[in-house]
Amino acid sequence: MGTFWRGLLKGSVTPRDNDSRFLLDVHSRDLPGEATMRRYADDDEVDLVIVGAGAGGSVLAQRLARRGWRIVILEAGPFWHPDEDWVSDEAGSHHLYWTQKRIIGGTDPIELGKNNSGRGVGGSMIHYAGYTPRFHPSDFSTHSDDGVGADWPLRYEELLGHYERVELELPVAGQDWPWGHPHRYPFSPHPVTGAALRLVEGAHRCGIEMRVGPVGIVNGTFGNRPHCIYRGYCLQGCKVNAKASPYVTHLPDALAHGVEVRANCMALRVDIDDATGAARGVVYAREGEGGRTLQRAAAVAVAGYSIETPRLLLASTSRRHPRGLGNAEDQVGRYVMVQGASQTAGRWPDELRMYKAPPPEISSEQFYETDPGRGFARGFSIQTVSPMPIGWSEHVLADGHWGRALREYMRDYNHWATIGVLNELLPHPENRVTLADETDPYGQPVARMDYTLTDNDKTNMAYSTKVITDILRAADAQDVLIIQRFAHLIGGARMGRAPEHSVTDADHRIWGVPNVFVADGSVCPTQGAANPALTIMALASRLAERMAGGDPVEHYRAVRARRIPISTRSRR
Amino acid sequence: MTVDLRSGAHLPKLRPGSQPPPPDWLPRQRRGTTPQMIGRYPDHDVFDAIDTWDEATKKVVLARLEPPGPLRFFSAAEEPALRAFCDTALAQETEPRIPVAETVDAKLADGRLDGYQYAGMPDDRDAWRLVLRGLDHTARQAYRCSFAECDTRRRENIVREFAHGRLVGGPWDELNVPRAWSVVMRAVLSAFYSHPWAWNEIGFGGPAYPRGFLRLGGPGYEGPGVREPFEKPGAVNVDPVREG
Ligand SMILES: Cc1cc2nc3c(=O)[nH]c(=O)nc-3n(C[C@H](O)[C@H](O)[C@H](O)COP(=O)(O)OP(=O)(O)OC[C@H]3O[C@@H](n4cnc5c(N)ncnc54)[C@H](O)[C@@H]3O)c2cc1C
Ligand code: SF4
Repeated sequence: MGTFWRGLLKGSVTPRDNDSRFLLDVHSRDLPGEATMRRYADDDEVDLVIVGAGAGGSVLAQRLARRGWRIVILEAGPFWHPDEDWVSDEAGSHHLYWTQKRIIGGTDPIELGKNNSGRGVGGSMIHYAGYTPRFHPSDFSTHSDDGVGADWPLRYEELLGHYERVELELPVAGQDWPWGHPHRYPFSPHPVTGAALRLVEGAHRCGIEMRVGPVGIVNGTFGNRPHCIYRGYCLQGCKVNAKASPYVTHLPDALAHGVEVRANCMALRVDIDDATGAARGVVYAREGEGGRTLQRAAAVAVAGYSIETPRLLLASTSRRHPRGLGNAEDQVGRYVMVQGASQTAGRWPDELRMYKAPPPEISSEQFYETDPGRGFARGFSIQTVSPMPIGWSEHVLADGHWGRALREYMRDYNHWATIGVLNELLPHPENRVTLADETDPYGQPVARMDYTLTDNDKTNMAYSTKVITDILRAADAQDVLIIQRFAHLIGGARMGRAPEHSVTDADHRIWGVPNVFVADGSVCPTQGAANPALTIMALASRLAERMAGGDPVEHYRAVRARRIPISTRSRR
Repeated sequence: MTVDLRSGAHLPKLRPGSQPPPPDWLPRQRRGTTPQMIGRYPDHDVFDAIDTWDEATKKVVLARLEPPGPLRFFSAAEEPALRAFCDTALAQETEPRIPVAETVDAKLADGRLDGYQYAGMPDDRDAWRLVLRGLDHTARQAYRCSFAECDTRRRENIVREFAHGRLVGGPWDELNVPRAWSVVMRAVLSAFYSHPWAWNEIGFGGPAYPRGFLRLGGPGYEGPGVREPFEKPGAVNVDPVREG
């Protein structure tokens, strides 16, 4: 269906081959099917073992389960029971984040934890904000076009069908989108708050266009998923089931099709058969238990996100891969990226109470691509955000206030509205995930992430911070507070056209290893100025199609015959 | 002093020296509790809405009102500096205080860390110990007494240098001081602003599930449609005599 019809038929077009929305219970937030979930024995060779039940891993599992694949997902974190486990409270949501130790280094160390990584069934999208923009077509060829970043081994057009499919599944609500590849959304835009309206007014006075959305938040009802109640706690896990995460969008359907999600199980090593060079499965440890177990599988997909995926690959040493799996060319962990995410807050005479409604409301991609007049390559996007009290106190502190001044600004909370940017920061080989000397309780070396900004990055960040500050001034803000920060991990095991510069090929397959794939955000060679979750899901959806070889029946026979279930031809 | 809330004249950056006015312009809290019993929403108590909260959230938030302590992570020798630092960093000079020291102590004792450690910095737990020793070190050098024995102004002087990353010597040389500031302030702020008394002070609505919000404040900036019926407007301590 064309984007025109999708836009016109808003709310009435629904996904055909994903029943998650109907499988959910109206009265309970638990993942339906947990009690009756299929369970495989460790020595039962399943078709695919996936490491990580996040954005990428869950979509891959749902797609292939529908094709008859027998799949186990190993997830380090817990199996959530949202009614009991999640709270309408900032500090009480600490357990949703990946808080196991990681070392951060480089000249500009990136704060991790609640800032960018989740742990548990559903992955980081459990507490992501909910923005779901697409990447622009220009993102896939920044090296050819602008001489910076890297070219992807695939084009936007190859993801387009999967973008549309995932947008229906989340489902995405927003105004018609004029930037990048113009498109429409399957659900209407949400109402916006008075706080966000102030920001839009300022943007318009600066000649900047802003649009409502795009967010993966139900507007109306969607199967058994209710309308958003505008309580604003999206970053603490949606207790309503209105906000999209794999927990509600893909895992219910995956479980209904025989996927086992084995929670509290930390993968420690991809096990390689030195005779054949192929993976035999994944060795993991169950939380609180001493032993190590090998889950046998015909193929392995690693989907632990940009820090844990490189960590697992580097720890997976074998005779054939003495420096870690896929690391023959010293590429694993390199080109890890974040986005600049400065935020400015403005003050108005009226009470705005920015804590209401989902933090993601309105955005602009007008500055997304390179504009030679700005003095740096590539660009940024602008998005409204709205910190809760602890987040707001970190904002006030970052502007240099503590003690009485901090308390004064905090008491003024209800008069403020906040706007932020996402800068495209460029990939750099020395920005890298490596293994530290320290080990975790399993004896596994912890990850170390080094990060240093380039001049292009700094110029981009300074320019964009000025743009959003100007927006506040144009909207007659009486005072302005600024915080420099970072968001969104990507890269670390990037895909490419040759093993010298990448970890996987265009089919996410690790160079030189026939049956190990990377299925999360770490494969992205660049990340543009868009939030990554939708693209990670679309990539996993495309990967599933490639792995299934396009023909479900033929594939099913191949799997039964225990052949390695992958089409090796590249069909570009 | 009287302040027009709409004007923003009380905001530190709009005032000389970037310092707020003394808090005597703030109304005394009439409902519920706020730290030091001052706040901008004297009739707002988040607990008025407790019957609209879900059970899991209620449990987590009410636990913060339990009698705090005793300290499990910090030693008796470290306690005075810990309390003095938490009080100064948050301007909590009088009761009722939010028990920040105890919350930080519990977090460190339970090992509930934030998931990252700066290269070249010790573990957060060791960083805290070094910071407390560092504060005492600086206080002894500058004022010939421990940090806790300093008066408010002197403690503020030391914390100001800490915030600017300018402290040196003794334990400070084992730390990257700006990063140590960020480590300790992260914990202190989270302890303070997770407490319902602080929500009362700043007029935050608190937990909102399953009730949610209907009135999002726009379009149209003022009028009855902007505020939920249970939300109370901000206020100042209007002194009728001086007003007149
Ligand atoms: C606060 C916040 C706000 C965000 N806001 C947005 C937003 O608005 N829009 C957007 O697009 N993106 C947003 N993001 C980012 C988005 O959530 C991530 O990019 C996305 O979820 C990453 O998907 P993934 O599949 O790569 O990894 P994840 O979803 O993180 O999944 C990885 C999973 O693997 C598990 N795992 C890791 N290692 C192992 C192991 N060794 N063994 C077993 N399991 C393992 C982890 O526990 C985790 O569950 C936000 C993130 C955060 C933290
Ligand atoms: S604001 Fe809406 S999407 Fe966000 S957590 Fe609340 S109900 Fe869920």
